[in-house]
Amino acid sequence: MGDNKTLASAHKPIKVLDGIPMLIICIIIIAALYILGITGVFSSNLMRYLMNIFLYITMGEMWNLLSGFTGMTSLGNQTFIGLAGFSVAVMTSTYSMSIWVGILVALVIAVVVALLLSFVLFRMRGMYFAIATWVVAEAICTWFLSWKYVNQGGGMSVRAKPYPRIPEIYLMALTLCVIAMVVVYVLLRTKTGLGLTAMRDDADASSSVGVNIFKSKLLVYVIAAAFTALAGAVFFVNKQTIYPSSGFDISWTVSMVFIVIIGGIGTVSGPVVGAIIYVLLSEILAKLPGWSNIILGAIAILVIIFLPDGIMGTLQKKLHFELFSQKRFSEPKKNLRAKAQMQA
Amino acid sequence: MQVIQLIINGILLGGIYAVLGVGMTMIFGIVKLTNLAHGEFVILGAYGSTLLAQALGVDPILTLIVTIPCMFLIGMGLQTGLINRVMLKGSEPALLVTFGLSIILQDAMLLLFTADARHAGAAYSSTILKIGGINIALLDIILLVISLVTILILTMFLNKTYMGRSIRATSDDTQAASLMGVSVKKTYAIAMGIALATAAVAGLCIGLKWTFYASSGGSYLLIAFGVVVIGGMGSIPGTLVAGLVFGLAQVIGGANYGLLVSYILLIIMLAVRPQGLFSK
Amino acid sequence: MSEPLLKVEGIQAKYGDFIAVHSATLDVPEGKIVSLIGSNGAGKSTLMDTVAGLHRPSAGKVYFKGEDITGLPAEKIVTRGLSLVPQGSRCFIRMSVEDNLIMGSFPKGVRAKAKDNLEKVYNLFPVLKEKRNDASGSLSGGQRQMVAVGRALMTDPELVLFDEISLGLAPTVIKDIYATIKRLNKETGITVLLVEQDTQRAMKTGELCHVMLKGEVVLSGPPRELGDDEIKKAYFGI
Repeated sequence: MGDNKTLASAHKPIKVLDGIPMLIICIIIIAALYILGITGVFSSNLMRYLMNIFLYITMGEMWNLLSGFTGMTSLGNQTFIGLAGFSVAVMTSTYSMSIWVGILVALVIAVVVALLLSFVLFRMRGMYFAIATWVVAEAICTWFLSWKYVNQGGGMSVRAKPYPRIPEIYLMALTLCVIAMVVVYVLLRTKTGLGLTAMRDDADASSSVGVNIFKSKLLVYVIAAAFTALAGAVFFVNKQTIYPSSGFDISWTVSMVFIVIIGGIGTVSGPVVGAIIYVLLSEILAKLPGWSNIILGAIAILVIIFLPDGIMGTLQKKLHFELFSQKRFSEPKKNLRAKAQMQA
Repeated sequence: MQVIQLIINGILLGGIYAVLGVGMTMIFGIVKLTNLAHGEFVILGAYGSTLLAQALGVDPILTLIVTIPCMFLIGMGLQTGLINRVMLKGSEPALLVTFGLSIILQDAMLLLFTADARHAGAAYSSTILKIGGINIALLDIILLVISLVTILILTMFLNKTYMGRSIRATSDDTQAASLMGVSVKKTYAIAMGIALATAAVAGLCIGLKWTFYASSGGSYLLIAFGVVVIGGMGSIPGTLVAGLVFGLAQVIGGANYGLLVSYILLIIMLAVRPQGLFSK
Repeated sequence: MSEPLLKVEGIQAKYGDFIAVHSATLDVPEGKIVSLIGSNGAGKSTLMDTVAGLHRPSAGKVYFKGEDITGLPAEKIVTRGLSLVPQGSRCFIRMSVEDNLIMGSFPKGVRAKAKDNLEKVYNLFPVLKEKRNDASGSLSGGQRQMVAVGRALMTDPELVLFDEISLGLAPTVIKDIYATIKRLNKETGITVLLVEQDTQRAMKTGELCHVMLKGEVVLSGPPRELGDDEIKKAYFGI
């Protein structure tokens, strides 16, 4: 009985919500967010929340790109957040450069470090990869704690005259978030993206149809590093001070995992929902000092057990729709498999 | 002379690292799970021993009589009630659940035991023995003996008892083991119980040797993982050697860079030989 | 005729959406050697795994000694006296030969007899006694099969299912193992269900023969009463 039901539902046509109408809705929402920010309709408090949501969406999308779409579960994305925060702080306070130079340096360092790390990290898979990324973050944190150049563990400040005001940082975060989502969406629809999803599902099949795994993984890893770093840079521009223990904190990964798991791993829209819930929940939990990670952790575990597809994943399955679908390559994917099997 | 002193210090530390890693190795090899909460369980054991010893005014080592059975039961309950369920959904959800557990435990300990640094003191904590110009702390010798005895008992259990054999059989082939009448889920629960019992011992050693915080679990997890990687999963002799390697790395790096040297060593090992030095 | 020792009625087994066994029905009378033949992919192994409790059936019933054992887990079924020697021997390769055999006496009811049973297995396969301390992973294919058979016998079974025990072994080794199975059946009265791809060998050994095709048992009877043509037809489905 149960089986028949799922079979029947699987054959129900899936409504794909993208194309022109969806694009227009998205543009309207984004335009509204820009206009309301610029015209000062939003209060600074609201803008602070929204800014955090945008930054967490960016980080969540990147973690999702790595883990949900490519199968590279990382526990060390805080490496790029910490490096970015310190880049901005060092450039602005030690060398008195502008914040923009700081952000540019953060981007370059993240890309270079990601390229260097890839040689080591890409030799590993699964949990080895996951733990190795964490070890890298901890190693850099330990190093920074005793490196005079970054004031050891004493922390550094981001300096600028005039210091960017909240609406400006809000616009930075919003722009970053929009670009990040467009990049993820476009990337997943390209041939590379198709290869990556195939790789997550079946590494052998994708390699036998000539998807260059190393190149594709490298591209995704560098993109994730770059955007995570940019989000970290903007975050610390807003925060103004950074310590090794805050920049390289494993709790960054906790947030990203939470956001993606709650929203729905492997969906483009999931991290958006997850980030909104995360920021609201953190606000509520701030009133219960000490309990926030306990409650976040418990929610994440319950979701993994009872709602393994997350909110968006479950909604899409139940209501038969796909938001920003990867539909365009879900068909060729089957052909890929068939081809691979024929070759084997 | 100094070199010999360093090597001896490294060997003495190696015992603690080996017992730190042995529980993780077991779960890795048998349940095929990376338990990201292992470090927190070690710290939980450290709190258990430290606070009990203070409250009762007894030697911290005696508290093992209480902490080992408690941790064993926690491990069995955790595996039965939570992890066995999640493992049906795949290895990645299980990994993330242990990650969730680790942050829950860390903050729960912070709430319960505050952020203060803790240390378990004993009568012999500062006794130094001088043997032929080499200084050896009595405490270090006691900790090495505790670690080695723990690993010896575990080895005997795995090799000489029906339960131990069934654990090894399950790690080789779960289906064939169930054809021999072994309940795989029950075996996993017992393995997790034993792993946490070793975490209790590791916690005692850490509490006696160093100061610790509610947040110390993460770095001990990474060392424990390093022991798994260098020793090869499920290999107890490998675990001993890996413990020694990390002990030496810690001593060479000194107080400031010990951890960094260990991390770099671990990253190199992961890149060069992720299956461990002792696996085929 | 009395109630058969094993009675399989309309078993269906699936992997996800793929139906490996549609509806299999067969009997195994007590004390006999019964063979089950069929080509590659006919569903023989899935059926064996399902009977032994490694796989849950989606429909149908399995009765052993008159009791319903459908859907019981493997670890429960083995304690009732039904043991499977799985395809490919599946030894515990990192454990010694003796530890492998002792695993067979894991069920609480047979632990007391472990020593006697171990002697019996060593008498049956003297080479295993020589290699008792070697890791089973270092043995030859035939010796691994002996370990697997010995391990199953250690559970004190009344019925043993042998799943393609001859797969990948040299003809002389196969001959020895088959001779041993026949001897076991004669001397101890253990009931045997043999899964085979080789029709000739199955017909020679079995007193009763079942033929499987595309997930169903299509032909059953004593080998002498079944014609060669009939079997060929059932086997290949032509």
